[in-house]
Amino acid sequence: MADNVTLTIDGARVTVPKGTLIVDAAKRLGNDIPVFCYHPKLQPVGMCRMCLVEVGRVQRDRASGQVIVDENGQPRVVMAPKLETACTTPVEEGMVVIGASGRVKEARDDILEFLLTSHPLDCPVCDKGGECPLQNLTIAHGPGQSRFIFEEKFRLAKQLPLGELIYLDRERCIQCARCIRFQNDIVDDRVLSFYERGRHLEIITCSEPGFDSKFSGNTTDICPVGALTTTDFRFEARPWEMNMAASICPHCPVGCNLTLNTRREARSGGQMVIKRVMPRQNEQVNEIWVCDKGRFGHHYASSSDRLTRPLVRRDGKLLEAAWEEALELAAGQLKAAGAGLAGLAGGRLSNEDLYNFRQVVTGLGGSAALNTRMGGAEQTQQVGVGLGTNFAEMGPGTAILVVASDLEEEAPIWWLRVKQAAERGATLIVANGRPTKTDRAARYVIRYAYGQEVATVLGMLVTGSSEAAEALARAENSVILFGREGLDFAGSTALAQACANLLIATNHYGRPNNGLVGVWPDANTQGAWDMGLPARGQAVLPVGATASWIVAADPVGDGEISAEALRAAGFVVVQELFLTPTAQAADVVLPAASWVEREGTFTNGERRVQRFYPAITMKGRPDFQIAAEIGARAGLSVSSHAAQIMLAIAENVPAYAGLTYQKLTEVVKQWPEVGGRDLYYGGASYTNRQGLGVQVPSAAERGADITAGKLAAPPPPARNGLTLVPVTVLYDRSTTFVRSQVMHPYVPRPYVELNTADAARLDIQDGDTVTVEAAGVRVTLTARVDGRAPEGVALMPADLGPAVPAVAGPATIQKG
Amino acid sequence: MLIDTHREEVDRILAKYPADQKRSAAMPLLYLAQSAYGHITPQAMEEVGGLIGVSSTDVAGLVGFYSLYYDRQAGKRRVQICTDFPCALRGAETFAAALCQKLGVRLGETTPDGEWTVEAVMCLAACDKAPMFQVQDADGIHYHESAGPDQPLTVDQALDVLANYTSAGKGG
Repeated sequence: MADNVTLTIDGARVTVPKGTLIVDAAKRLGNDIPVFCYHPKLQPVGMCRMCLVEVGRVQRDRASGQVIVDENGQPRVVMAPKLETACTTPVEEGMVVIGASGRVKEARDDILEFLLTSHPLDCPVCDKGGECPLQNLTIAHGPGQSRFIFEEKFRLAKQLPLGELIYLDRERCIQCARCIRFQNDIVDDRVLSFYERGRHLEIITCSEPGFDSKFSGNTTDICPVGALTTTDFRFEARPWEMNMAASICPHCPVGCNLTLNTRREARSGGQMVIKRVMPRQNEQVNEIWVCDKGRFGHHYASSSDRLTRPLVRRDGKLLEAAWEEALELAAGQLKAAGAGLAGLAGGRLSNEDLYNFRQVVTGLGGSAALNTRMGGAEQTQQVGVGLGTNFAEMGPGTAILVVASDLEEEAPIWWLRVKQAAERGATLIVANGRPTKTDRAARYVIRYAYGQEVATVLGMLVTGSSEAAEALARAENSVILFGREGLDFAGSTALAQACANLLIATNHYGRPNNGLVGVWPDANTQGAWDMGLPARGQAVLPVGATASWIVAADPVGDGEISAEALRAAGFVVVQELFLTPTAQAADVVLPAASWVEREGTFTNGERRVQRFYPAITMKGRPDFQIAAEIGARAGLSVSSHAAQIMLAIAENVPAYAGLTYQKLTEVVKQWPEVGGRDLYYGGASYTNRQGLGVQVPSAAERGADITAGKLAAPPPPARNGLTLVPVTVLYDRSTTFVRSQVMHPYVPRPYVELNTADAARLDIQDGDTVTVEAAGVRVTLTARVDGRAPEGVALMPADLGPAVPAVAGPATIQKG
Repeated sequence: MLIDTHREEVDRILAKYPADQKRSAAMPLLYLAQSAYGHITPQAMEEVGGLIGVSSTDVAGLVGFYSLYYDRQAGKRRVQICTDFPCALRGAETFAAALCQKLGVRLGETTPDGEWTVEAVMCLAACDKAPMFQVQDADGIHYHESAGPDQPLTVDQALDVLANYTSAGKGG
C-alpha cells in the first residue's frame, strides 16, 4: 500500500503508516527507544537527544532517482555518518534503524551522564521515585558512574510553588519542555515558559494566579522527573505502596476514567484512604488526561463530616439510631404514604441506585423524579451521538456546534477534545450570549441575546441563513453539544428539541460522530433519565405529596423549597453523604456510601456506560442497597447487588439490552502506551485494564421512527435594563467539591460580573459590594468589572453560595 | 504605562508589523520598555504582552532567553568587558580583574554609588583591539578599544574613560 512504509528496526521488519516517526514505529514493535522530551500526544522537538539511533537509508541514483541495488539485487542501504533522533525522523521505505549498537549505547550513556550532572540524586525523598522515567532509564542505560565533580552540581532552592496546586523543583528539571508544550499545544493556556538559557534554564509562570490552568495536574503525569509534583500528593506516599482501584470521575458528564491510588495507613486510623487520583487511559473519553477538579476534587469522600450512622427525629431532634430502626421507620412511613409518596433523586447517583430507587418508589405507588434544572435527555435518547462516536476521530468533514455552554467550565475535557478536533480541521461553531474560551478555536461564533437560544438554532434550519448553518448542514458529520446557560428546565428542553430538529433535518444522527450531546450538570444525568426517572416539574414536591424520599439532592440548600414547606408535606426520608439543609429537615436520615466505596455505573454525555469499583472502606451503605432494604421491609423484592441490578436494567431498559458487568470490563489495546513499563513514553496515566465501557445505542439506531418535534420559537424577551444570567463555574461550592480544601484558593467568593459600560452607568467599580435583585432572589455580593460580560448582561455563577434565579431574566443591581 | 508615556514609539513599532502578527513587535517593545524603566520589570512584561496579545509568561520567556534584556535593577551604566578567547589571550581577564579592583566590585556587581555595573561578556567582535570593553547607557552602546596590538588599553585609561561618562552625566 502506498500509504504504508516498511522498514527494519534492530532486525525486525515493521509496516507502519507513512509519516510515522521512528520512535513510534519501534514502539509498535515493542522496541523501546528511550525518550524524555518526546511524548506521543505532543509534537516532537528533539530536545533531549536521548533517542539517538543509527539510521540507514536506501540509496538512489541522483540522476535517475532509481534505487541502487547491490550485487544480490537488494536495495543498497547506507548508514548515516551521525546518529539521528528517532523522535523527529519519519520512517522511509527500506530504512534500517539500529538501536542496539555500541555507538548508540555510548550516546545514551553520555546523554544520561550529562543530564545527571545537574540532577540531584534525591530519589529517596522524591515523589516521582518508583515511577520515574529518569530513574528507570538511568538504570537501563546509564553509565553507572559519573565523572562529574560533585561540588559543581547545580543547586537551587527546592519546592518553588508555581501555583497553589503544583510545586516546581528546579534542580530536578531536565528541560524537556513537556509541561510547556502540554500547556501551549493541548490546553492553550500559555502560562508556562522557559527562562534563561543553558544550565540556568528554569520553568516560570507569570500568570495571576500562578500556573492558571484547569489542567495543571496533567503536567505532573508527563513530567519525566520529579520536577513537577502536586501539593495534594507531595510526600504523601510512595508509588509502590499504593493499591489501584478503577473509577469514573463523578464531577461532570465527560466521565473521565480514573485510577484511585489507595493505601491503608496508621495516621488515618488504619483505614484505606485515597492518596491520589490519576487518569486512566480511555482514548474515546478522556485519552490520558483529567482536569484538576477530577484530580483534586475527591476529598469529600474522606471528609470528617460524612454521615456514618442513621439519624431519626425524636422530640424534634435528629438523634443517632440503629440501621434496623431507621429502615423500619422509613419503610413503614413511605409505604403508608402510597400514592402520596414523592421520590426525588440527584444526578450524581449511579444507574443502579436510580433504577432501584425508581423500582421501590413506583412499587409503593408513589412517583419518582430526577432533581434537575436541565432537560433534553429525551432528545439525546432519540438522536444522541451514534455508536462509535469519538471526538479524537473528528477532523475535516465534521462540524461541531456548541450552544449555550461554556465547555471549559462545564465539561473541561470536552473543551480539549473539541478544540483538538477543530485544529485537525473540524468546523467548530460556538453559539452563546457571551464570549467563552471555546470561541478561540471556533470557525464561526454566533452571539445571541439571552432568551434567543432556541430561535438561533431554529434559524439555522433555514437553508442558506448563514455560513455557519450551511457548514453544519453540508458537513459529512455533525455533532451538537447543548448546555443550559441562562435556561431553565423548559428552556433547555426546547433548546434540545431545536438541536434535535436541526440534526434530523440535515440527516446527522444515527451513525458515528453524528448526533446530540447534553452538557449535563451531573455525572449521571443521562443515566438517570435512561433509568426512567422523569424530571420534576417546577415544584420540588408534587401536589398532594404526603411523604418524601430524597436521595443525593438538596432542594432546601439550593433554595428551591423551604425546610418548613418540605416538612409540611409529611414524613421526610433523606439519603445523603452529609447533613445538608435538606437532611436537617428530615425525619429519618440514612447515611449513603460515596462513589469510591461501592460499585456502580455512570452513563456519560456520550451515553457510554462505565463502571466504577470500590476503593476504600465503606461508610454508610450504597444507595441501591438502602433502596432495596426499604423495599424489602415494605414487601417489595429488588436486588441489592450491583451486578444483578445491571442485569435487571439490561432486561427493562431497551437501550441497555445485553449490558452486563462483564461487558463493561472489556478492554482493547490502546495507543499510545502509558503507565507501567511504558511510563517513560506516555506518562504516568494508568493503563486501562478494568473496562472501556459500552456506548448504548440511540433510539434512531434501534430502528425507532425519528421525526422532528413540534416547537415554536419563543417570543424575544423584553429588553429593558440588565439581564441577570446564571452561569456555571468549574470550581464551585457544591457539596461534593467544597470539601477539597486544596482547591479553596481557586473557589471564588460569590460575585456578579458586569460590563464596563453598565458598571459605569451604575457607578460600580470592580470589587464593590453590590445588591442584586432578580426573580425572588436578593443577594449581596462582590462586583467584578473586567470586560467579560456583554453590555446589558450581568453574569452570576451558580453554586457559589447564594441561590441564583433559574433562568436569565431582568435584574436590578445597586451599589451597597 | 508605556502606552501613556511612549505612545508615539509604541505606535511606530506596532505599525511595522501586520495587524495579525503583532507578536513580532515583542522585541523592539521590550527594548523600549528597558530604556524607559532601566530594566524590564514584571509590570513591563505584562504591558508588552497586553500590547501584542500574548501571555506575560511568553514575554518573560523572551526576556529570559536574550542576554541583553535585563530583568533586574543595575547601575546607571554597564561596563561590559569581552573576556572571550582571543581577548583572554591578550590579557582581558587580568584587565577585568584589575578594573574591578579599582572600582571596588566583583564581576556582575554594581558600584556603591549606583553608577556602574561591571560584567564579563562574550565576543564583541573587536579581537584585534583587545583588551576592550563597551559601555551601555541610555544613549546606546559605546566601544572603547585598545589602539592596536602593541598599545593595549590600560586600567588607568579605562578609569579615565569612565570618569568622563560620570562627569558628563553630572554636567548634563
